[in-house]
Amino acid sequence: MIFSRYKREVSAAIAFVVLLVVVGIAAPTFFSAGNLRDLVINNAPTLLIAIGMTLVILAGQIDISVGSQFAVCSVAAGFLAKTGMPIPILFICVLLTGAAMGALNGALIGWLRLPSIIVTLAMLVMWRDALRWVTEGAWVQNLPENFQWFGLGQTGGEILIVAITLVLFAFFAWSLRNLASARKVYAVGSDAEAARLAGIRSPNVVFWVFVIMGGLVGIAALLNAVRFSAIPGNSGVGLELKAIAAVVVGGAAISGGRATLIGTLIGVALLGTIGTALTFVGINPFWEKAIQGAIILAALVSDVALGRLEKNGKFNLAGAKAA
Amino acid sequence: MPEKTLLKASNISKSYSGVHALRDASFTLRSGEVHALVGENGAGKSTLIKIITGAVLQDDGEIVLNGEAITSNSPALSKSLGIAAIYQQPVLFPELTVAENIAIGRERLGAFGVIDWKERRNTAKALLERVGARIDTETIAAELSMPQQQLVEITRALGADAKVLIFDEPTASLSEEDTQNLFKVIRELRADGVGIIYISHRLEELPVIADRVTVLRDGRTIETLEMADVTTEQMIRLMVGRDLSAVFPKRQVERGEVIFELKNFGSRSAGIRGIDLAVRAGEIVGVSGLIGAGRTELAKTIFGLEAPDEGEILIKGRAIHIGHPSEAIEYGIAYLPEDRRKHGVVLDFPISANITLASLKKLSGFAGLNFRFGKEKEIAADYTRRLGVKTPAIFNAVSTLSGGNQQKVALSRWLMTKPSVLILDEPTQGIDVGAKAEIHELMMELAEQGVAILMISSELPEVLGMSDRIAVMSGGTIVKIFDRADATQDKILSVALGHLESAATR
Amino acid sequence: MESLTSPEQKPLRTEQAWHQRIFPNNEWILLIVLISECLIFSIKGNNFLTSGNGFEITRLAVEIGLLALVMTPIIITGGIDLSVGSMMGLSAVVMGGLWRDAGFSMPAAIAITLLVGLIGGALNAAMITKLKAPPLIVTLGTFSLFRGIAEGLTRGIENYSGFSPSFLFLGQGYVFGVIPTQLFILVPAIIAVWWWLHRTAYGRSFYAIGFSQEGARYAGIKVRRRLNFIYCLSGIAASLAAVIYVAHLGQAKSDAGTGYELTAIAAVVLGGASIFGGRGTVLGTVLGLFAIVILQNGLRLSGQPTELAGVLTGVLLVVTIVIDRAWRPHEGGSRNAISEEFEVKNWQIGVLSGVILAAALIVAGSNWLLVRSIKDEKSSAGPVQTAIPANSKKSVIAMMPKAKGDPYFISCKLGAEEAAKELGAELLWDGPTDLDPAKQNEVVEAWITRGVDVIAVSVENKEGISTVLRKARAKGIKVVTWDADAEKEARDFLINQATPQGIGETLTDEAARIMGGKGEFAIITASLSAANQNEWIKYIKQRLTEKYPEMKLVAIQPSEGDRDRAFQETQNVLKVYPDVKLVMGIAAPAVPGIAEAVKQSNRKDVKVTGLSLPNMCKPYIKEGIIESIVLWNTVDLGYLTVFASNALSNGTFKSGDKKLAAGRLNEIEVVDDEVRLGKPFIFNKDNIDKFNF
Repeated sequence: MIFSRYKREVSAAIAFVVLLVVVGIAAPTFFSAGNLRDLVINNAPTLLIAIGMTLVILAGQIDISVGSQFAVCSVAAGFLAKTGMPIPILFICVLLTGAAMGALNGALIGWLRLPSIIVTLAMLVMWRDALRWVTEGAWVQNLPENFQWFGLGQTGGEILIVAITLVLFAFFAWSLRNLASARKVYAVGSDAEAARLAGIRSPNVVFWVFVIMGGLVGIAALLNAVRFSAIPGNSGVGLELKAIAAVVVGGAAISGGRATLIGTLIGVALLGTIGTALTFVGINPFWEKAIQGAIILAALVSDVALGRLEKNGKFNLAGAKAA
Repeated sequence: MPEKTLLKASNISKSYSGVHALRDASFTLRSGEVHALVGENGAGKSTLIKIITGAVLQDDGEIVLNGEAITSNSPALSKSLGIAAIYQQPVLFPELTVAENIAIGRERLGAFGVIDWKERRNTAKALLERVGARIDTETIAAELSMPQQQLVEITRALGADAKVLIFDEPTASLSEEDTQNLFKVIRELRADGVGIIYISHRLEELPVIADRVTVLRDGRTIETLEMADVTTEQMIRLMVGRDLSAVFPKRQVERGEVIFELKNFGSRSAGIRGIDLAVRAGEIVGVSGLIGAGRTELAKTIFGLEAPDEGEILIKGRAIHIGHPSEAIEYGIAYLPEDRRKHGVVLDFPISANITLASLKKLSGFAGLNFRFGKEKEIAADYTRRLGVKTPAIFNAVSTLSGGNQQKVALSRWLMTKPSVLILDEPTQGIDVGAKAEIHELMMELAEQGVAILMISSELPEVLGMSDRIAVMSGGTIVKIFDRADATQDKILSVALGHLESAATR
Repeated sequence: MESLTSPEQKPLRTEQAWHQRIFPNNEWILLIVLISECLIFSIKGNNFLTSGNGFEITRLAVEIGLLALVMTPIIITGGIDLSVGSMMGLSAVVMGGLWRDAGFSMPAAIAITLLVGLIGGALNAAMITKLKAPPLIVTLGTFSLFRGIAEGLTRGIENYSGFSPSFLFLGQGYVFGVIPTQLFILVPAIIAVWWWLHRTAYGRSFYAIGFSQEGARYAGIKVRRRLNFIYCLSGIAASLAAVIYVAHLGQAKSDAGTGYELTAIAAVVLGGASIFGGRGTVLGTVLGLFAIVILQNGLRLSGQPTELAGVLTGVLLVVTIVIDRAWRPHEGGSRNAISEEFEVKNWQIGVLSGVILAAALIVAGSNWLLVRSIKDEKSSAGPVQTAIPANSKKSVIAMMPKAKGDPYFISCKLGAEEAAKELGAELLWDGPTDLDPAKQNEVVEAWITRGVDVIAVSVENKEGISTVLRKARAKGIKVVTWDADAEKEARDFLINQATPQGIGETLTDEAARIMGGKGEFAIITASLSAANQNEWIKYIKQRLTEKYPEMKLVAIQPSEGDRDRAFQETQNVLKVYPDVKLVMGIAAPAVPGIAEAVKQSNRKDVKVTGLSLPNMCKPYIKEGIIESIVLWNTVDLGYLTVFASNALSNGTFKSGDKKLAAGRLNEIEVVDDEVRLGKPFIFNKDNIDKFNF
């Protein structure tokens, strides 16, 4: 029963296992504790963003501005840290920065029902260029001592990063299943009209989805930034593509209404390890993009094989659903 | 059970773009009764229901529920007051489970409310059992068949503690067994004091389930009668009212030779098989049957929207192959689809563009490079006037027109292709009575010009009134073909239902 | 036929009002925006309203224009194609490879390149029509795939150049001396697509498909065939754009067309097309395209930074769709004319757009004021100038780095500003934010139009920029290059911090010193196609064979100028090549990333060196993780460049001079046409505190 409903996640998981086996044969050193630890930490921020993206895609929307939001939050984290505020307050402030940017998206897309692909396209350009304009590309340096690793030293910091990510993942995984408000996201993405008739206020649901996305971007930016002692001016380029690819590969229906966080997790794992795997196996690392693209296309083909694409027999354009 | 008035609609009037959908209509529903609402296409049934459920606001008149008038009605408000409607097309969430679909209608949890899945499952199971539906609560809604989806919808409404339940053609695609189950549930609800409004074209069902019946015609309430006191013929007469020949202007047409023929025609993907039919020039063949019998599927396969895999089509004796609608058009076949808004017209296109959409090649000038805009306007204006489409400008979007006028535009599109075979699928569904008569008149004129016409219709008066012969479909094939003289309503129905005795004898 | 309803017939209108026919989507608003832009910039910018500038604007618009023209019918059908920019990259390297390595003639190479575009487009088409997959995700996948194949084929490194002049004429030449060649491609393309979309039955079918795909099919329109065609055409258009792009820049690299798809989509949507399908005009797209291009061009001529263009374009895009939403509240989904519940009232939309517009204006305005105040501050305040040259007209020096966002160049800017203040010269500092040779050309063109005195460029693409630099010289503008050179005859002087050979050798010697002359090491570079870095690598390898045969270079990994990426790559290298004793970073932002990775891995036996800036490496040098970094005083480099430019401009410095007076740097050596800053400098623990940049 479970197997048949989650065919997509299962096939993604199989692909991942195959990848691991191939790498395991070609380069066993891949599985050293150090490498696995590094992979987890390097991909934790991506996972958080992919969780947010799962919600967005569940609601039938899309967000290509997360990379730029990430850059803004990273720099903001640096500036705020330099004011000397305590770490917990810093955490909340960065979260709010991301949430504010998300709220702007949410207002335009949820309340004004503007198409999400265009709004987030405009935001992608605006935030990144505004950031560059203000900072002129300068790095944020001379951060206070307790910034890197939250002042806990490398091991402590790494544990904290993983812990925060796991807690958030578990929380969202549980909520998506069991919180009534989370189920509304499924309803809105599944059939906006039916949702309306059932008394669900779609504009608000979409608004909050984007706010949550923004908040997660903020947290991800902070967790990424504390691994270093300076903050570059242009981080997060291409992050949106990674997140969307992970969610799609993990089995989400791009038209909304269907996605699982386990699938997203597998997607992040699969796409996140490819680059490193290539280096280990000795393949020219510049094939990474091509392989990512091929995986996305393969995911689509498998969707067809599983008969999942024809919704009303139409060719769906994601983000074409106004709430 | 003491009868008290549950819902009272008084003097309701509503017009759309100058066309009166309802005129001073009144309707009373008692608690604990099943009240049937009948009328032809365009009589105003759907509009009345939309007003009761708050989907549309009336121009005049009021709705009173349990003694209190409903002001500023809306879908949300009517729902909260306990009014629920179940339409022909189910409105479920395709990706969610049955249990969840049922629960969403009734749950009132706040932003941080946690779901009790066990409770949901159990509730759903209990409700489904009441309805007698053998459906697993964990099935994804998209995987259910249409009848099953309907049952889930009904269950959902039950779960929402509705006091007024409106059924719009509920048995159209249910099997005999499911229909009986449904009737059982309805009787139970009636015993509980729920007031049920039951709309159906299947007049033979009504004596079995309904207590009273109200007949609408031309937007007015004609009469409300006790079910026990009225026969089917009487109902039809009240429904049609005027001189039958005005609405169904049937004239004798000299039938020409066979110009369209199907021999052992079938399509596995469309679910039809073994179709034998021959239509002559000037002949109107009505196609009757229940929903799911395969009528629309047959039309789609002929027109090239589905792929046939057995048998052949012959035009004027020549066997042809149709792989795409464009080919069908070239062979002189035209198809006016059932879903007018989705397939019949392009709502956002201007009237003129809609009319010419199937004949673009004719307007294409030299090597397709020079579109004849002037000619287009001429032709469009011509059809608009001829068919009496009520609009100030031919460049207005079709969405600005009433249903009847939209259908006229859709028909104009096919007239422009100068077809020799015209397939009409529920041509008068959802349009006002005036337009209905006009379309029937147009059909006659076309027949007189030698066009062979296939008319799919669920409205028996229409089928009986306009056809020269009547083909009855069931289970994907033509079961019997009646001549006009031999056909009666009962005979057709019994064939459609698939057994020799009719479900209700009158 | 008698109508059963009242026959009150008013005359039937068949002709639409002219403004509805020409501007069905209110494109006249965009026209007004465009005219306002022109008005504003003709006042604020220098030489904006000249025919020369007009033509240049058109040249800029061609490549994106081709993409946007074919994107219009795609968006009208309710689809989208995100892969066109990546197809440009793939086409560019295919063409370059066929011509240079496989020996095909140019016409044959172009023909095969167009074929490649067709195949790519067909892949999109097949997945969209046969598999019924959503166009957004399909083209997201091919967006990655095409660029990835381009990078994989060329290992990111290859840079095909040296094309024949007759080919380059296509992208750089002037017909009759004034009209850019591309105009003869753009104008016919616009007319052809306009005719096809608006005056043929074929074009009309796209609108039908966009409004109602199924409805179109029921009307006999061959929907699948139309969609197949348009996506294939999109691929071909991208290849054609790539051919022109390569001719324009004189080089073919895998990064061609990066970001172009977003600009093309922005142009189409700005032009009034609805992303849901069914609406859009070629007129709108052309207006949208020029609105964006003119905005960029005008801002440059007004001395405003390029980022402002991006921000304003984004705002413009949002305002456009808000207005469109107010106009058509029912679009995109709930066609339910009955649902009035969640209708956003028009006045609410008005308020919201007013707020957004006000916010944008405030942001733009405050920055405008901020920038202006800084500029005023620079030219008026400050200590008394030391060496004001005899010819005291205020020179306008236009200086461009390879990438404004790179900290290396930011430090050069410090020195440049210092010198400009000292000399009382006006400094224009602009350029692409990241490496982008096409943008460099655009900026130079804008400066030529503006009529600056000197142009000083750190060149990303040698061949491509030389043509436009020659043009500048022909107009009497002095040209110098600094940090990275163009072709010799394209500039007056090169301000060289050190020769690539010198840099390569110093790096290698340092590495050898740290490693004791033997062992394995790895290099983390910028992008695999960065010209400077590849030059250095060439000399490093040479030095290795000459002097250090026992040292082995085991890996070269890219960092794309991204600190985090350098971090990850180093982590990988340390694991894949456990015998590596040294990691050398030859891109400034990479070195701190490398150092952090080494630090976190706790590999005390691995050392770091490379080329970077003192401030970002200071903590690691003090901790002993970075042994040393090689550089020169970048602030001095900027300072020297401005001094040389100024002297050139007022004639005190000319060809044949052996020395140049450069303010606080005293006298600088000049060898032929090179102004030499000095030798590479090694920063280490002992001297790092003396520097602050």
